[in-house]
Amino acid sequence: MALLKSKGFRMSPEKQETLLKLSILSLAAILSFATRLFSVLRFESVIHEFDPYFNYRTTKFLAEEGFYSFHNWFDDRAWYPLGRIIGGTIYPGLMVTSAVLYHLMWMLNITIDIRNVCVFLAPFFSSLTTIITYLLTKELKNSGAGLVAAAMISIVPGYISRSVAGSYDNEAIAIFCMLLTYYMWIKAVKTGSILWATFTALAYFYMVSSWGGYVFLINLIPLHVLTLMATGRFSHRIYVAYSTVYCVGTVLSMQISFVGFQPVQSSEHMLALGVFGLCQLHSGVDYIRSKISGDDFDVLFKAVVVATIGVSAVVGGVLTLTGKIAPWTGRFYTLLDPSYAKNHIPIIASVSEHQPTSWASFYFDLQILVFLFPAGLYFCFSKLSDANIFLILYGVTSIYFAGVMVRLMLVLAPVMCILSGIAVSAMLDTYMKQVDSTKNVDKKTRKMENNFVMKSEIATCFVGLMSFLLISYTFHCTWVTSEAYSSPSIVLSAKTHDGSQIIFDDFREAYYWLRMNTPEDARVMSWWDYGYQITAMANRTILVDNNTWNNTHISRVGQAMASSEEKAYEIMRELDVDYVLVIFGGVVGYSSDDINKFLWMVRIGGSTEHGRHIKESDYYSATGEFRVDKEGSPTLLNCLMYKMCYYRFGQVYSEGGKPPGYDRVRSAEIGNKDFELDVLEEAYTTEHWLVRIYKVKPLRNRGI
Amino acid sequence: MKTRHLFQFLVLLINLSAKVFAISLESISADVVLKNVDRSIDISSQIAKISHKITLENVGKKEVSSFLFAIDKLFEEKVAFLGGQPGSNLKVYRVKNQEHPDKQFWRIDLKEPLQQGKTTLVEIELVLSNALTAYPTKITQKEKQLVRFSGNHYLYSPYQVSKQTTTVNIGTRNVESYSKLSPVSQSDSVFNYGPYTQISPFSEDRMSIHYENNSPFLSVTSLVRTIEVSHWGNIAIEETIDLLHTGAQLKGPFSRYEYQREVQSGVSSVKAFKTILPAAASNVYYRDEIGNISTSHMRIMSDSVELDLRPRFPLFGGWKAHYILGYNVPSYEYLYNSGDYYKLKMRIVDHVFDDMIIDEAVTKIILPEGSDKITLTTPYPIERLPDSFHYTYLDTKGKPVVSIKLKNLVEHHIQDFEINYVFPRLLMFQEPILVATALYLLFLLVVVYVRLDFSITKDEQKENRMKISVLCDKVLEYHDKRAVTYTAFESCLAKLKQTKDVNSFMAATKIVNQDYKNECNHINELALKMKSDAPEMADKVMDLQKMDKCLREVYTYQQSLYVDRMVPGKISRGQFTDAENNLNKRKEDSIDKINAIIRSLH
Repeated sequence: MALLKSKGFRMSPEKQETLLKLSILSLAAILSFATRLFSVLRFESVIHEFDPYFNYRTTKFLAEEGFYSFHNWFDDRAWYPLGRIIGGTIYPGLMVTSAVLYHLMWMLNITIDIRNVCVFLAPFFSSLTTIITYLLTKELKNSGAGLVAAAMISIVPGYISRSVAGSYDNEAIAIFCMLLTYYMWIKAVKTGSILWATFTALAYFYMVSSWGGYVFLINLIPLHVLTLMATGRFSHRIYVAYSTVYCVGTVLSMQISFVGFQPVQSSEHMLALGVFGLCQLHSGVDYIRSKISGDDFDVLFKAVVVATIGVSAVVGGVLTLTGKIAPWTGRFYTLLDPSYAKNHIPIIASVSEHQPTSWASFYFDLQILVFLFPAGLYFCFSKLSDANIFLILYGVTSIYFAGVMVRLMLVLAPVMCILSGIAVSAMLDTYMKQVDSTKNVDKKTRKMENNFVMKSEIATCFVGLMSFLLISYTFHCTWVTSEAYSSPSIVLSAKTHDGSQIIFDDFREAYYWLRMNTPEDARVMSWWDYGYQITAMANRTILVDNNTWNNTHISRVGQAMASSEEKAYEIMRELDVDYVLVIFGGVVGYSSDDINKFLWMVRIGGSTEHGRHIKESDYYSATGEFRVDKEGSPTLLNCLMYKMCYYRFGQVYSEGGKPPGYDRVRSAEIGNKDFELDVLEEAYTTEHWLVRIYKVKPLRNRGI
Repeated sequence: MKTRHLFQFLVLLINLSAKVFAISLESISADVVLKNVDRSIDISSQIAKISHKITLENVGKKEVSSFLFAIDKLFEEKVAFLGGQPGSNLKVYRVKNQEHPDKQFWRIDLKEPLQQGKTTLVEIELVLSNALTAYPTKITQKEKQLVRFSGNHYLYSPYQVSKQTTTVNIGTRNVESYSKLSPVSQSDSVFNYGPYTQISPFSEDRMSIHYENNSPFLSVTSLVRTIEVSHWGNIAIEETIDLLHTGAQLKGPFSRYEYQREVQSGVSSVKAFKTILPAAASNVYYRDEIGNISTSHMRIMSDSVELDLRPRFPLFGGWKAHYILGYNVPSYEYLYNSGDYYKLKMRIVDHVFDDMIIDEAVTKIILPEGSDKITLTTPYPIERLPDSFHYTYLDTKGKPVVSIKLKNLVEHHIQDFEINYVFPRLLMFQEPILVATALYLLFLLVVVYVRLDFSITKDEQKENRMKISVLCDKVLEYHDKRAVTYTAFESCLAKLKQTKDVNSFMAATKIVNQDYKNECNHINELALKMKSDAPEMADKVMDLQKMDKCLREVYTYQQSLYVDRMVPGKISRGQFTDAENNLNKRKEDSIDKINAIIRSLH
């Protein structure tokens, strides 16, 4: 006999929902933190890659010296002899965030190292991103979709690629800032309140302070407003929201010294300004239309339109001609015309993350989201609202940009998750109700639903399929994170034949050697890739670094590398070089070494007036190939870079069964084996020959 | 503030005076003659170890309780350690002499006063750091390291020496040159000088040996050793070490090819060294400013942990390295207590590598927060730095830090210090209570925030909903209680069926019925309350009551069936079963209905 008792622990449905939401969300947030820790667990808590080292160094400076000296910091360790004004040439948001966290924790006597703050900042902000994605999707659709989107973004590889522990870069917090701004903006659009609009502006300010990608944001929001105008959805709410956001946001963004007056001068920001003007006109017109008769209004309207277009064209033209409106910078041309950089600016084209995205990498980084994205768009279109239009615009524009540049996959990933979340939630919503046929059928809409055959079975099938897709998504994401995005790149590891792991710690070995055993003010010449790492880890002055602001200076270094020893010596004397550092992977088979980058050095070296004599064609063999063996061009075989990489390598047996001097990366026996260096001497070579450091000899004594 | 300054000043004054008075004046006694002196000088490593076997004779009339030991001018700056053999407990003091104010003297106390005409044997060990100089000072990678040792053929003694011999062990056969003061002989890697007889006080004759020495010339230029004591059972030790290769400097290029190919290439360089940690050491880490140094091996031996440390790069002459080595040891091995009194006994410095030289060391001992009355005793004189405070996780007023500074240390200085302090045991609970309070406050804040309404406007709908849900909860609660009365009633019936004892049944059901009535009344009251705010809910509750009444009726029937008919035996067995089955069916029907209503009330 059934007992009459109700359950011992009772909860109202609302409470149950809250509990469920909270637990799913916190699980997703924890997951997004945890999944980014692969590299810390496998290696150690260490900063990755190149740019993060600069950020780490500046953060350390900020934490130790305080904001004012950071703001006024003139860095004489980089770009010798020019130096660099750090405070005015970076987005300080990242450094300030970690310094604030650091000081906050020290205030509570939590004596955590600044390095650990930096290493774990990106995972921490990913957790916050997960939460903000939930809130944003909830505003756009409902909380169910929000939870799915949050769960998806917590493990999406496209975002993980730039936010694993140790990847301490601007993007780590910028995505959070971006979504926060969108969330605030949607709130502002929905409510039309100045409060939310001001919050949007503040969030925008945080975004501006942390990433150059804010330009995408300040174009997307005006685009949204413009679309709303075009579709006749413009209202007072939009007017209040956008006017506030634009005014407050622009003034705030100009406080960042790196941004300066760009928001009112450069053409990238002109859409925002134009839409702001249009907003005023639109509401002005609306006001007047409500006051005067139809015919008069038409005349007035036409006159005003013609006048506005005329005036703005003239003013814009004059300002552009006088140079008040800055011409579009190279990176933005690249966005609009992917082939632009390749033809005009080798320094942009040489960076791998500025290359167009391949189809495979879309699937690799987003997996099922690629297929759910259109479905999500469909659901957005089916119930069009002011907020949904924003989401559609965000999705469409970002998929274009992601196609142009691999790096911008990062901007696409969140919207992919949001749209997919909407799609999954909406579809499951429909089908889950049908799975259990016995319950619902006997009551209400019996007649309608009985038209379908095997309703429950189909629904079950569909739900099963969906679960399978989602499960495969989680497996894929974890695999990608673990295999592709979790190596610190500063420490390399390889498997030996018997399966044990060997670690190549050569980079740090070389940097630490520089730090310990060279004079404090020694100047090190290397290709710009390693600039940030050398300043951060070796604490020595370098000529060029990853902040590629001075093309001619980089070109000069490229010329030195590409020239013969005598010519290079002149350049090195001119630049006061004490040590030269090259990366050479020929012994262990590390393929992204300096010889493989060498053609870019030649191209960049030859791109300025001083380097006219350096021609790319001279470095190809007779058959037009880039080879380092006997067939290679003599110019290549005698240039400084070649000599530095292969000095004494000719005697080394690198692989069994191959002649000495066998380069394992290029699979060739080197062509120029027996040579001595005249102007340089080997100062240090790391254990696996990955990094080689040479000392520039002083001038010879007279008479010898 | 002022008193603190005054206190510091006093401490300073005491320190100063201690230093001044530590060096007392002693005169050279004419009664002592050194009958026989055996010196053996070991210069096969980077330090020079000189052990003396001195036979003293008292030729005077009085007892002699101590004698003086003079340090050669050449060695004055280089003396790292002077004392007896390990375990001999020889007492030595730095003293001054009026007649020879420019010379360095040590007074050595004899174990027992030397009687007139007697002799005694004293063994003295002298360790010199930096006594060997590389010559040539710069070598290329291929060359071997040659060093020069300068000393004295005679014992530099304030007393007449009757007879003395010196053996020098250089650890190699490759000698460039050596000074010859006959009689001298060389066998293998050992030189024998002497015997020399009747040497007058303070005699000097330069000894010079130029030989090959490829042993590691490493010195620790700075060592910071931090010992953090936790009463939770752990002592964390961290050593920050700056290394310098003090041998002949590398001249010209470093060739990795030759270094990997040729065994003889860079023989004087240091690739790795061994550090010996206490046997209980765990969680060892070896890192520097830019991260973990991935080239190290740990071997756990029965009485120690051996660390095979490799710097990131091999150290050639003049090259430097820097690293941090940390580990944990359990506190029960080093920390003793009786009540609130604690004693920590640990090494002032620990082994870094064999034949080590430490130029300067700072040892910091971080005691638990709240430790008081700290006294420090050390086996040899040290310089005590001002105490400070260290703040870390969950500290409020800081942990007291005792810092000491030492200079020019060798392996002989690996000795224990003792630190006594008072730590009230109750303070152990400070940290857990701190955490608990913080969490409590946090939860309290959340509770207050959730429970109280901070909005300016009133949301009536929400309030109503909450009110109703509370009422519903109460209804369910009473309903549960009522369900209990039913089960009680059921069991009474079952009992009656067996025992057929009507009286006791009546007595038992009386209480049950009373409870049942109470619960029904409660639910009715609640239904009335609900009526105004949520008529729908009230209806449901009324339905519930109705169904309940039906159920109750069934039970009443059952009771009458039992009491009136079964017990007196007015009914046949078959009839009874039929009737009971019928009742059970009705019961189940109403229970189902009630359950449905309850589910909708959730």
